Amino acid sequence: MEKVLFVNEVSILNASIEKIVRLVVGLFLFVATFGLVSCNSNDDENGIVIDGIDLREDVDCCSAEEALQVYKFLQTVKIVPELSTTVDGKYNVFAYTKTGTFHKGYNDVYFVVTKKLTGNYVKNYDITNITPLMTMVKMGHQHSTPISGSVTTFDDTRIAVKHGWVSLLMNTSDNGFWEFSYDISVLGSTGKVNKVEINVDALPDGQDWLKNFKIGDDTFFLSLVNPSEWATGTNEIRAYISKKSNPITTPYFLATETFTVDIDPRMPDMGNHTSPDNVTLTRQSDGSYKGVINLTMTGLWRIHLTVKDAQGNVVAGGDDLKDGFSSLYWDVTL
Amino acid sequence: MLNILYISFLPLLPLPSDSVATKTHNIDEVVVISGRTEGQKRSIKGQVASIDEHIGELSHVNLVRRGSYAWEPVVNNMATERVSTTIDGMKIFYACTDKMDPVTSYVESGNLQSISLNSGLSGNPQSTGNIGGSLDLKLKKAGFMELGIRNEELGIDTLSANSHSIPHSSFHIPHSSFLIPNFTTGYEANGHLQVYGADAAYSSHSFYANGGVFYRHADNYKQGGGEEVNFSQFQKLNAFANLGARLAEDHILEGTFIYDRASDVGYPALNMDVSKAEAFITSLSYKRLFHHPVLNTWETKVYYNHIVHIMDDTTRPDVEIHMDMPGKSWTSGIYSLLSASKGSHDVQLNYDLYYNRLFADMTMYPGGAAPMYMVTWPDVGTLNTGVAISDVVSLPHQQKVKLSAKVAQQWQKLNDEEGYHSLSVFFPGMKDAYYQTIGRVAANYEARVKEYTLNLGAGWGSRAPTVTEAYGYYLNNTFDQYDYIGNPRLKNESAIEVNAAVKWQPSSLLSFNVDANAFFFYNYIIGQFENRLSAMTVGAEGVKVYGNIDHATIFNTSFTAQYHVLPWLSWTGKVNYAIGRDADSDPLPLISPLAYATSLDFAWSRFQVRAEVNGNARQVNYAPKYGETETAEYAIVNLNTQYTFSLNNAHLTLRAGVENLLDRRYSTYSDWCNIPQKGRNVYVNVSVGL
Repeated sequence: MEKVLFVNEVSILNASIEKIVRLVVGLFLFVATFGLVSCNSNDDENGIVIDGIDLREDVDCCSAEEALQVYKFLQTVKIVPELSTTVDGKYNVFAYTKTGTFHKGYNDVYFVVTKKLTGNYVKNYDITNITPLMTMVKMGHQHSTPISGSVTTFDDTRIAVKHGWVSLLMNTSDNGFWEFSYDISVLGSTGKVNKVEINVDALPDGQDWLKNFKIGDDTFFLSLVNPSEWATGTNEIRAYISKKSNPITTPYFLATETFTVDIDPRMPDMGNHTSPDNVTLTRQSDGSYKGVINLTMTGLWRIHLTVKDAQGNVVAGGDDLKDGFSSLYWDVTL
Repeated sequence: MLNILYISFLPLLPLPSDSVATKTHNIDEVVVISGRTEGQKRSIKGQVASIDEHIGELSHVNLVRRGSYAWEPVVNNMATERVSTTIDGMKIFYACTDKMDPVTSYVESGNLQSISLNSGLSGNPQSTGNIGGSLDLKLKKAGFMELGIRNEELGIDTLSANSHSIPHSSFHIPHSSFLIPNFTTGYEANGHLQVYGADAAYSSHSFYANGGVFYRHADNYKQGGGEEVNFSQFQKLNAFANLGARLAEDHILEGTFIYDRASDVGYPALNMDVSKAEAFITSLSYKRLFHHPVLNTWETKVYYNHIVHIMDDTTRPDVEIHMDMPGKSWTSGIYSLLSASKGSHDVQLNYDLYYNRLFADMTMYPGGAAPMYMVTWPDVGTLNTGVAISDVVSLPHQQKVKLSAKVAQQWQKLNDEEGYHSLSVFFPGMKDAYYQTIGRVAANYEARVKEYTLNLGAGWGSRAPTVTEAYGYYLNNTFDQYDYIGNPRLKNESAIEVNAAVKWQPSSLLSFNVDANAFFFYNYIIGQFENRLSAMTVGAEGVKVYGNIDHATIFNTSFTAQYHVLPWLSWTGKVNYAIGRDADSDPLPLISPLAYATSLDFAWSRFQVRAEVNGNARQVNYAPKYGETETAEYAIVNLNTQYTFSLNNAHLTLRAGVENLLDRRYSTYSDWCNIPQKGRNVYVNVSVGL
């Protein structure tokens, strides 16, 4: 009907009316099509539909509800294509970070494995032997970097997601490049990502989230966890203390020693203004260090550190620079 | 500061009696408009005087100066926190975290009919938190034309245009109307202050409209001795319109509108200036007049006002860190006021409700590094509603009792998440919503016995903490160089007031007046040292957090004498003294030292001259504990003249004078950071009414 009207009228009507009619017809067709699609949308018994995933029951994979939780989580992170692979032509392995890239310092890494056939998330698999390796081109040597002890289930509601972290000592530059490797075993099949080159971005000015200190011949690394999530006000501050391994081409795992880390956040641009009631970082059962940091405004915060051993002896930082503050510090710009 | 009494154009007349029934000795008024206002206070400079100069005429009032513009009224030695300011009963709240814009700065003298002050706790019906007093700025409305009544408001001898209409007006009204243009202009040599104003009014029996435009411009002024005070310039543009329509004989609809914009305002006492301070003030009211044995009038007004305040440090040399500090305030409200009288009672019953939002933030730009941002007023929404009642009872033998009471409830919500989280650092677990109940009750007694008039009063009142006191965030106070943090856990402050006054008028030529009041505070709110906190502002001494101190006292007293020596010569002398003490009996800050003024008024027909000397004694009781420094004594001499005449149906008033004749270099205790006052200043201004 509409079309007939259109054809009949077009010879009489001027160009602008023609345009309007065309728009009306177009809208009509659009609404009709859209309505049809909506009517046909899957109203299965669970009411859960995920684009690209066949949710039929599979003991290896997530239930519809579990899959939805995983799917939702994956919308908050981005895939790292270089670290993704396939196993035996049956499984897809995907690695994710917050931004799909890596930067200097602490990075959360997430993994999921899907069945190629259905696209559903496999619940049980193992990611092992993650090894980041930096090749120093000019100095002609290689070293690894601090990483999480193992890759573990992210949380109870998303058991198909595995989580680990790497804290990268430096960014990719003319001086050196990073390669990542890891092993995967899923439902009896095994695979591997071998020495894939990964670009590691530098952090902007005013961000410095990874520091080291020495006790005797041992070198320790202080990795500050995700300060970009902080906001003005009271924040949980989390960090890991890792120990340089021997040989240095093997990943650096968490230090077995127990420390405490006093924090003194200061704003160098505001006459070293500070905030009250900051809480020392102490070791938690999961091996991380937790404390509380209060930030009174945005801007550059220099978090001066005093590291003490289990007996309370200062082992790093806590010295007085010219300005009276510790030379060991993280920089965080909100 | 001194309080100048009015010049009576006819010195032999006795002092004006309190003609308005509700007036008691605690109410003071300064008339702003030009024209004949015999026996009432007015500025010696006439209408051209700034709003601040008009306010300065009121008893009990001092002004805190941070520059030559936007002075902060202080009533009974209490500043903005303890004073209510309304515009025709409308609530309005300043938008600058540094108090650069007391709300009186958003009107212009030409907008106003008069400014009235209720001293102490017996506030006007719309006021809340008015421990020190309440100011109401009454807008100048042309009013409707009534038959055969002199128009006092506009100074016209013909027909009346009184918006406070007489209930029993005649029903046979002629359909005539009139249009009155009015021009004012003024110049002050010191600072090249220029004032230009034009307004016009149209009145008929069923409709009135008046409006005007005013412009002020000033360059830097010179202090005594001739040195220029940098960053003391300002510029202000103001336009207003008032409309009234008589829908039916006793049904009146009135609308008001004010637009005010100050720009390029310097604040020599502060580290920053203001690039823009803009207000938009509007209201619509419906007034019902009654011909009823009990009910007189019933007025209901809805209003809205909006302020944007933008600070600016880009013209200052040697700025440590450039910063942007904008503030916003908007308020919407309603009040409904019923006036009734029966027998010896004059009763006013008022309901009011307002909602105010205050938001301010600060962004600092350190060279090269990331900007630093903080929310300094966390978008606080305040909903306040209250009921007020007052009753003036006329008793036999010239006795009068005024009773007044108000109870108000207030809800506050911190709408800005970031601001709420930042303040939570200092008050872990604080809520983002608060509730307060506040109230006041006051009684005044007046008796006239022979040549004596006696006033006694007492009251109790409380106030909720201001947004700055409760939720302000690192607000730098240049007075004591501390950063102030608000305290959401403050208790309400309360005070008991007692006051007394005796006027002795042994003859129509001579009068003496002694006046005293005392305020006994509980939970007095003031900034307290917090040594464990670190200052934010570069160069600040430290941090103070607002807190309640157990008790404090403020005592004010004044003595006035007036003598009409000859028909053309009168003398006035006045001395004020005040004491403020905190819980440790240490002096409170910003309490006036001994102040005095003496003046001689000469009047020959249309020509008047006033010669005055005023000054302060050395500020002995200054408050070093609160960062106050001592202010030295001073005395200055002013000379003022005025000549009124008619020319071809035009009424002209010429005024000229010299302030600080001897060019003394001085500052008063209320000059913020002791910035110097103006040196010798010659002024001249003219008002023309056609």
